[in-house]
Amino acid sequence: MKKTWLIALLTVMTISMVACGNSGSKDASQENGSTAGTKTEKVKLSIWHNYTGDDLRAQTMRATLEQFQKDNPDIQLDIQGIPPDGYRARLKTVAAANEMPDLFVMWPGIMTKEFDGGGLLQPINELLDSKPEWKEGFLPNSFSDFTIDGNTYAVPMAMSPTSILYYNKKMFSENNVEPPKTWDDMMHLVETFNKAKITPIALGNKAAWLAQSSILSSLGDRVTGTEWFLKAIAGEGAKFTDPEFVQALAYLKQLSDAKAFQDGFNSIDNTQMEQMFAQGKAAMMIDGGWALTNLAANASPEAMADMGATVLPTVPGGKGDPDSLSGVVGTGLGLSKNVDGARRDAAFKLIYTMASPEVQKKTLEGNQLVSYKVELDTSKVSPIFAEVYKLLGTVHTTPVYDGRLSSAVADVMNNGLQELLMGGNPENIAKKIQDAQDKELAASK
Amino acid sequence: MQMEQKLPMAKIQVEGKSKRGLGRALIQLGLTLYALVTLYPLFWLFTSAFKTNEEFDSRPFYLPKVWHWDNLTRAWDVSAMGTSLINSTIVTVTALAFTLVMGALAAYVLARFQFRFKAFFMGLFLLGMLIPIHSTLVPLFIMLKQVKLLDTYWALILPYTAFELPLAIFVTAAFLTAIPKEIEEAALIDGTGYWGIFFRMMLPLSLPALSTVAILGFLRFWNDFAFALIFISKPALKTVPLSLSVFATGYSTDYKLTMAAMTIAVIPTIIAFLMFQEQIMKGMTAGAVKG
Amino acid sequence: MTTSARVKGFIVAGILPALILYLFFVVVPVFWSAYYGFFDWKGIGAAKFIGLANYAEVVKDPIFWKGFKNNMLIVAASVFGQVPIAMILALLLTKSGLFQRLIRASVFMPMVLSSVVVGIIWSYIYHPQIGVLNFLLDSAGLENLKRAWLSEPSISMYAIMIPIIWNYIGPYMIIFIAALQNIPSEINDAAQIDGVGASRKLFTITLPMIWDTIKVVIVLCISGSLKAFDLIYVMTGGGPAHTTEVLASYMYNSTFNVYRFGYGSAISTAIIILSLLLILGSQYLMKRDYR
Repeated sequence: MKKTWLIALLTVMTISMVACGNSGSKDASQENGSTAGTKTEKVKLSIWHNYTGDDLRAQTMRATLEQFQKDNPDIQLDIQGIPPDGYRARLKTVAAANEMPDLFVMWPGIMTKEFDGGGLLQPINELLDSKPEWKEGFLPNSFSDFTIDGNTYAVPMAMSPTSILYYNKKMFSENNVEPPKTWDDMMHLVETFNKAKITPIALGNKAAWLAQSSILSSLGDRVTGTEWFLKAIAGEGAKFTDPEFVQALAYLKQLSDAKAFQDGFNSIDNTQMEQMFAQGKAAMMIDGGWALTNLAANASPEAMADMGATVLPTVPGGKGDPDSLSGVVGTGLGLSKNVDGARRDAAFKLIYTMASPEVQKKTLEGNQLVSYKVELDTSKVSPIFAEVYKLLGTVHTTPVYDGRLSSAVADVMNNGLQELLMGGNPENIAKKIQDAQDKELAASK
Repeated sequence: MQMEQKLPMAKIQVEGKSKRGLGRALIQLGLTLYALVTLYPLFWLFTSAFKTNEEFDSRPFYLPKVWHWDNLTRAWDVSAMGTSLINSTIVTVTALAFTLVMGALAAYVLARFQFRFKAFFMGLFLLGMLIPIHSTLVPLFIMLKQVKLLDTYWALILPYTAFELPLAIFVTAAFLTAIPKEIEEAALIDGTGYWGIFFRMMLPLSLPALSTVAILGFLRFWNDFAFALIFISKPALKTVPLSLSVFATGYSTDYKLTMAAMTIAVIPTIIAFLMFQEQIMKGMTAGAVKG
Repeated sequence: MTTSARVKGFIVAGILPALILYLFFVVVPVFWSAYYGFFDWKGIGAAKFIGLANYAEVVKDPIFWKGFKNNMLIVAASVFGQVPIAMILALLLTKSGLFQRLIRASVFMPMVLSSVVVGIIWSYIYHPQIGVLNFLLDSAGLENLKRAWLSEPSISMYAIMIPIIWNYIGPYMIIFIAALQNIPSEINDAAQIDGVGASRKLFTITLPMIWDTIKVVIVLCISGSLKAFDLIYVMTGGGPAHTTEVLASYMYNSTFNVYRFGYGSAISTAIIILSLLLILGSQYLMKRDYR
């Protein structure tokens, strides 16, 4: 009995050694064969994406890649779908080891800046200039977060407004109230719904970036104006300890002090928050455009028919434009510096295909907003999606804080907001943010 | 030998059988309740796998209203679970075999022999149990790239084995120290060599410890996300944890499919656990015969 | 060949395979990572040598010490919670009857499930609105005890410790069972003949016999607690506002979310050093030799 066990163990070891050894050498010979092959010199391209799920967007993107492979037999794609939760960690690790893929899904703003700073990217201006009609098709400012010193490194394949105020029309009419126009309206609504034993605003701030991206980015802009924020991140004449920013924090705290959010919002994730709103357990929710995709997949049509969308209310004496909401363009495909010649041509072709008018249209019809001018066929999307789409045509976009702040400062801000919502002191938190920002500015000099 | 006598509670044995029976029944009842509590998550996982996302969130502790069997097939397809299961099996079994043989051998040497630097080696291996693995990702990635093992099964098998060896050595060595010296000395006098003693006596004797190591190793290898995420890029070589995490986008999690995929992935683990648990018991009887 | 040369040869051959693999895949990356700790490096682009600045910052970092404090709570909970519970269960379940086997398997089940499942289910148990715990408190008429368990800073760490204890009892129990079965039956028989009482037998025979195993388990407990990551990461991500931050989650965030590779490496080196100190301390306290 004991012997059999031992023998089995040793056999497994030998077999696996042989098996693994074989598979390794087979691959090597295949690779040799293909590079040495004279007839069909295939162009090889590796691409990393995070479209792994079962949602419509992911399906569209995966199908596009497959179709591209079929249409271009001379190009051999090495497609790798990486779980979204581990995507950035993986990309960062390989970047640290200088082993970048040829093309990869890249975020606008700070990530583009960091990768460019490391000399890992090459611009795609040439591609954009060769297709002027396509270039013109993007919404204004679509490239700005992918552009550094005149070089554009990617084109957006989607769009993410981050602070839409979603509200439940039915609950609003039952309580005889209107969507808030001013901060007073908002505080009044909170009071009304609390009296009616309804959670005024659903919040799921476990991941900590939500209160920052969805609430403070827009609320802060209302108070301080965009210019102030741009100065503060550049460290030129504005600081997060300035009274206007502290005031923005105070507004947010005022909401939480008035019990605008349900209990335990810091331990609830945003999927649960969206479910809470969709199931009519809260009258409002402040969330991004991504909610539309999730709601379309998981909420009932009746629930979605009751939903309305607007922007955050104005604040007294605010310097920002009230007809705005914070937002960023979506991810694009970054191109590694090491790609040249025929491979570069192939890469351009793929970048175009993935962001082509047809794919943008398909993406849009999958309830995902895009940064491209496409006529929306409202019969193909949910009513709330159509409403948000219309809303976006009437307002302009302001920066999202964590899209512009360095990761370290954004992390301090996110944690600071969790603290603030638990009753923290606005001045102290503003100081912590500014300290982190000072450190960042000192390091970059 | 009667097992109850090991128990402190068995003190009451002199006070008559009925009381003892009652005490035992109470203990059994307590144990059963505890077991039900620990089994519940498994039950919860299996039922959640058949719900809709809306139901998952609004009625987390109820049975599904409608059993959505298609969740399982959908999860299987989207996450490429078939390939992952094969890969995980190859990687896990090989790494386990290495861990057990190398670990047992080193443990035998460290537990039964006196030599210089022994304490140093023990200390060195101890260090291995303290390492937060995430900090080694970048160096390991670079090293695996240098030796051209990235993107092969070896990129997982070798690090898995190396990281599990400390635990294997510690648990097995502690177990072996408890075996009386005389057994070994008798064999040496009989003319059995050290290899003979190791393979014919120590390995079988340490079967309970090795089975324990095997269970823990299996779980670690089967569930590892970090190494698998970073060291493997070919889709054809992906392991199970990567397949389980494809349903969370960072903005939302598709809970029903995540649960369905996890339901599929947990079954091999349960089987492996039950197998090794039997080995622990067999080892007990084997150990008791000799002496 | 002389005996001593044979012994030497066997020692070398026994230890070398494990040692080489371990040195290459564990020790080298650890020192490599410690070396990164001397740099200001975002993971991309040039690294700037800054000497001990990262390490100095770690020592002064209040969040690091907050994490350390939370880790110490987990260490205490596992050494004084998990170990005794695992020991009692092991003593009760050494016998190999069907009942014992079933219970044993159940106790181990949470380990078999991935931490994601366990984390999600406990999040729902603790859920402020639809959670079972608050529901039970409600029905028991204890409304004023209802809490947002995972987001109230004063209790969230304790709320998290319960699933951690509960989840990892299985392996320790199994290790204890393996050790208990290794006790030669003669010793038990002898004790029985001498009429030694059960509790005296436990403290004078059983525990001393498996003392080495207990030491190993405590080392495992300490090292495991200091590496605690998965469950916390799923349940709270270290938040809100770092209140449930532990060293490993802080290291992970610093490295992969904030992109301070150098600082993350310094934290991880500090974790290893602190763990070593703790383990050496615990070994010193347990030095008492029973045999």
